[in-house]
Amino acid sequence: MKREVAIVGIGYAGFRPLTPDLSYKELVFEAATRAYAEAGINPRTDVDSFISVAEDLHEGTSITDEYVPDQLGAVQKPVQTVAGDGIHGLAMAYMQICTGQFDIVVVESHAKASNILHLGHVTAMAMDPVYTRPLGVHPLALAGMEMRRYLDESGLTHEHCAQVVVKNRAHALSNPLASYPAVLEVEDVLNAPPVAEPLTQLEVSQHVDGAIVVVMAAGDVARALTDMPIWVLGIGFANDAFALDSRSWAQAEYARLAGQMAYRMAGIRNPRATIDVAEIDDTFAYKELQHMEALGLCAPGEAGYLVAEGYTSLEGELPVNPSGGSLGVGHLLDASGLARVLEIVWQLRGDAGQRQIPDVEVGLAFGWRGLPTTSGAAIILAN
Amino acid sequence: MEKVNIVTQAQPWVDRFPLTGRYTYGVAGERFFRELKENGRFFGTRCTACDVVYVPPRLYCLRCFAPLEEWVEVPSTGTVHTFTVVHQDLDEAPLPTPEVIAFVQIDGCDGGLVHRLGEVAPEDVYIGMSVEAVLKPTAERQGGLTDIAYFRPTLR
Ligand SMILES: [Zn+2]
Repeated sequence: MKREVAIVGIGYAGFRPLTPDLSYKELVFEAATRAYAEAGINPRTDVDSFISVAEDLHEGTSITDEYVPDQLGAVQKPVQTVAGDGIHGLAMAYMQICTGQFDIVVVESHAKASNILHLGHVTAMAMDPVYTRPLGVHPLALAGMEMRRYLDESGLTHEHCAQVVVKNRAHALSNPLASYPAVLEVEDVLNAPPVAEPLTQLEVSQHVDGAIVVVMAAGDVARALTDMPIWVLGIGFANDAFALDSRSWAQAEYARLAGQMAYRMAGIRNPRATIDVAEIDDTFAYKELQHMEALGLCAPGEAGYLVAEGYTSLEGELPVNPSGGSLGVGHLLDASGLARVLEIVWQLRGDAGQRQIPDVEVGLAFGWRGLPTTSGAAIILAN
Repeated sequence: MEKVNIVTQAQPWVDRFPLTGRYTYGVAGERFFRELKENGRFFGTRCTACDVVYVPPRLYCLRCFAPLEEWVEVPSTGTVHTFTVVHQDLDEAPLPTPEVIAFVQIDGCDGGLVHRLGEVAPEDVYIGMSVEAVLKPTAERQGGLTDIAYFRPTLR
């Protein structure tokens, strides 16, 4: 029989554009201390396995995984690093627990973006060295091209994308963790300096430093640890082609397939009717719309209209990114998906403060690994 | 210990990691770039089972995983599938002249290339525009992506 798995603790640290006071290791230590306190566990004696989600070039070191154990309480324990979005790490933890070999597994991811002097260079190193990188073009060009093709095929407009920025940065006003709350108008977004047309500066999420640590446990262990386990109903992940000539420029196929896998596992046939709150990757404003459609939360070409009419606002039928998303909170590199999960966990526990959505039972979090990848991971959680 | 709360008072260690890589093209890339360099021609590979022509060519089909052995010459003309106007360089500094970057779907193929557009004003570019490759002079070609100087609107 399939084992039940729940989140029994989640901790964070940082969530600021600059953290000159803390090393990334100290950020992780702080987040882990919070997560372990919440779960009521001692990592040295209670945790069976640790997973880190990290990318070497973001860290500025190779073998990033080897650095993990010390600040996580994981020395002389099973440790592995997953490359991807933070939610990929949760998927690995889920599978480890399902083996029956592990009862408590910890997932860590962090961002120290302020240490990277030119993130564009790092992202450029991810592009194909033979067929793309020789152009010497800023990788945001890929986002600009994808956005244009998506708008062309979906029939949505630049205004629809701008609405996402207005909504998410307004949501951030009621999130004390958010670094980029703002009251904006659609015109502000459209008139912002273009970076890779049609994409403007305000449609690109800005970075923050931070760390997030998640404690996952098997059914009875979870029940013994907390009165409020947040259950994993479904989890899925997928990729499209990496080659730019063979992937879709308009559709987020990775999100569609990751969502399908998670829904199938959760037994969800109608996501729009079942999901009460969603936190969905909005690294770029158009990505929220593209991901909503791919995740089956609306029909193709409908996402922009739902945002415009307030359907996905805090008070709407299906709030999307009540935390403010990456546009409002700040983008956490590989930890971005875990920031989405953090909000869903708080919403399901009734701990979301001013932005608490009433009667939340099922939440969806979706993470994308960022440019130039087609890696996506989805998780469905319930209280 | 006190935390440093002023950025300029933090004392980071600053280091660079300048590394040089050699990225071999492989069988498919060698042939693609050799033809481009020596003969100014584009080649792709075809999967007959999927009825797909790959440009750039590769020796395997992404769709059915078959090995690909059929080489086809393809035109150096195509259609703008999507495009952007980039305003900043890799250091995030503003470009003096914004650049048009496009994904050009090569005529008769399923694939194509991301490259610059030239000899056209950004505001005149549109999805579906017919373009042709402008190659560097033979003597300047080195067997790489930049042997194509840019794509420009097809002359009629
Ligand atoms: Zn095939």
